[in-house]
Amino acid sequence: MKIAVTVKIVPDTTAEKKIDAATKRLVRTGMNLVMNPYDEYALEAALRLKEQLGADTTVTVVSMYPENGKETIRRALAMGADDAYLISDAALEGTDAWGTGVVLGAALRKIGFDLIICGGLSDDGTTGAVPGALAEDLGVPGIANVRHIESAQGSLKVQCETDNGYQVVNGPLPALISVTMAVGEPRYPSLKGIMGAKKKPITTFTVAELDVAGAAGAANAKTELLSFAPPAGRGKGQVVKPDDSAQGARVIFDYLKERKLV
Amino acid sequence: MSDVIIFVEQRGGHTRKVTFELATEARKVADMLGGKAHAVVLGGGAPALAEQLKGYPLDVVHVNDDADVDTYLAEPEVDYVEALARELGSSIVLVPNTMHGRDIGSRVAARLKTGIVADVTDLKLEDGKLVCVAPKLGGAFITSSAFKNTEYGVVTVRPNAFAAEAGGAGATVQPIAKPAGKTYVVKIESHVEEAAAEIGLEEAAVIISGGRGLGSAEPFDSVLKPLAKAFGGAVGATRAVADAGWVPYSMQIGQTGKTVSPRLYIAFGISGAIQHKVGMSTSGTIVAVNTDAGAPIGEFADMLVVANALEVATELTRLVEANRSA
Ligand SMILES: Cc1cc2nc3c(=O)[nH]c(=O)nc-3n(C[C@H](O)[C@H](O)[C@H](O)COP(=O)(O)OP(=O)(O)OC[C@H]3O[C@@H](n4cnc5c(N)ncnc54)[C@H](O)[C@@H]3O)c2cc1C
Ligand SMILES: Nc1ncnc2c1ncn2[C@@H]1O[C@H](COP(=O)(O)O)[C@@H](O)[C@H]1O
Repeated sequence: MKIAVTVKIVPDTTAEKKIDAATKRLVRTGMNLVMNPYDEYALEAALRLKEQLGADTTVTVVSMYPENGKETIRRALAMGADDAYLISDAALEGTDAWGTGVVLGAALRKIGFDLIICGGLSDDGTTGAVPGALAEDLGVPGIANVRHIESAQGSLKVQCETDNGYQVVNGPLPALISVTMAVGEPRYPSLKGIMGAKKKPITTFTVAELDVAGAAGAANAKTELLSFAPPAGRGKGQVVKPDDSAQGARVIFDYLKERKLV
Repeated sequence: MSDVIIFVEQRGGHTRKVTFELATEARKVADMLGGKAHAVVLGGGAPALAEQLKGYPLDVVHVNDDADVDTYLAEPEVDYVEALARELGSSIVLVPNTMHGRDIGSRVAARLKTGIVADVTDLKLEDGKLVCVAPKLGGAFITSSAFKNTEYGVVTVRPNAFAAEAGGAGATVQPIAKPAGKTYVVKIESHVEEAAAEIGLEEAAVIISGGRGLGSAEPFDSVLKPLAKAFGGAVGATRAVADAGWVPYSMQIGQTGKTVSPRLYIAFGISGAIQHKVGMSTSGTIVAVNTDAGAPIGEFADMLVVANALEVATELTRLVEANRSA
């Protein structure tokens, strides 16, 4: 079985985020790049499936990011992915969620797949819209919010998280799923994995190699950022040191009463 | 001129408060754009819910109790919403920013080859354009975005961002035809209710949240739940306690969990790590109880009470309950 995992490369999740006033895009230079946290879970789910299904199962990582994303992609290979594709092209700057779905779709059509695993949400984009867009672009069943893969041989059986529990869902392959963190804690790359990753192939695609007319780049995006500003500051509030817990509860109660919250 | 369509997330005739928030906001957006406000209600129980929606300021409620919607995942709903959008032409689709809502919204956007603005907390008209306001990058920025190169747009709306107000002249309820020639393959075998949350975290007006400072799994049920109940709210948690297996991941709030903005957020034994903060910092009022006066949560909570979380929670429950029955 051929599993593809989509991995977004994002600025270090703890770094202070800045937006460039001129381009109105997230500043991605001058800080560490990491795999989008959710996508580590997607990769972990893929690697566990590979372990379960045996040697003829492969895990391929697909990412759309400038060339300097290669080092971050190596981490995915060190974790255990077999190979990677990086779609890099200046023409891709400013592509929106729908366009990203189309670009990733074009690449995945070339690469081939039985199962695509996406993260649920990106740390910097937080639209959660790419997996749905990608499933639609490829015309394959898309199953969102997967928290557990029960089986993936011949067909799929998964648990999808809902607001108050989960649903058991089944469907055919090829398919796309997006996962929540409940699929399992991502592994750390082993030393052997890190050494081995240096020899694994990372293939780059440019826009010219993919059929993405009318979807790539800022000019084709369907949304535009008009303005941005830091929120009205939420400063440090009051610190109360009560004599005992009962007084502490009373202080909170009175405060909430004053604010009409009880 | 654009119409507005809201996607109603429902099961068996039951829906969440966010549906009524969307219905109220749809009217305002439709008036701004000079169009009509529509709702699409699908699946078992839809007709009864459609009647309920008549009490909100919509123009047309489109309804079909198609059993396929209950049997097959997402796809049938996407087909209906897409079909209505194409029939109406230029339109804005509003979906709730919930797990299911995002899924439906992202596919409808892809079908209409259009953009999606996620987690929107305000909608306004500027220079004839619909402007979508959304906190981004973990609340570090409030962004304003608009649609371009398209006659459609999809907006996922954050629960609790808009008020739900009944009213209006009474919508027309009318059947919507099942899109023809579709076959479905992704089947829902069963539903399992776990957290048995009467109120979803994302829409709760009050969230009582617990962290590692609670010491074990037990107080989530025995202490936080009764307090949440007294407020009519829901219980949330940090990743540390979800990782520890004290609560299911569905209760996790933060960067890799849910984003919430209730009117009131009370954090018990939560340090306030940045990854937790980004999921809740837009809450109305934030109160924290922590034994450490220097806990990072003190930097953004409106009030930090330095005390034992369990004891304060227990006593606060008593006060809130007494106040209710008074
Ligand atoms: C990529 C990534 C993603 C993450 N995503 C999330 C996320 O989505 N959500 C999330 O929450 N975290 C997330 N985290 C984890 C986050 O960094 C913190 O580790 C976590 O939020 C801490 O949880 P906590 O506050 O419960 O525990 P701790 O940090 O251990 O804090 C416990 C607090 O309880 C206080 N305390 C102890 N005893 C008592 C008592 N008796 N009474 C009152 N107070 C007491 C302590 O003073 C302390 O402040 C993520 C981390 C990473 C790296
Ligand atoms: N540029 C990208 N390259 C690869 N995968 C992506 C990219 N953008 C989004 N994704 C995938 O889509 C998921 C949701 O991202 P988003 O829709 O941006 O919140 C991520 O977790 C990734 O799996």
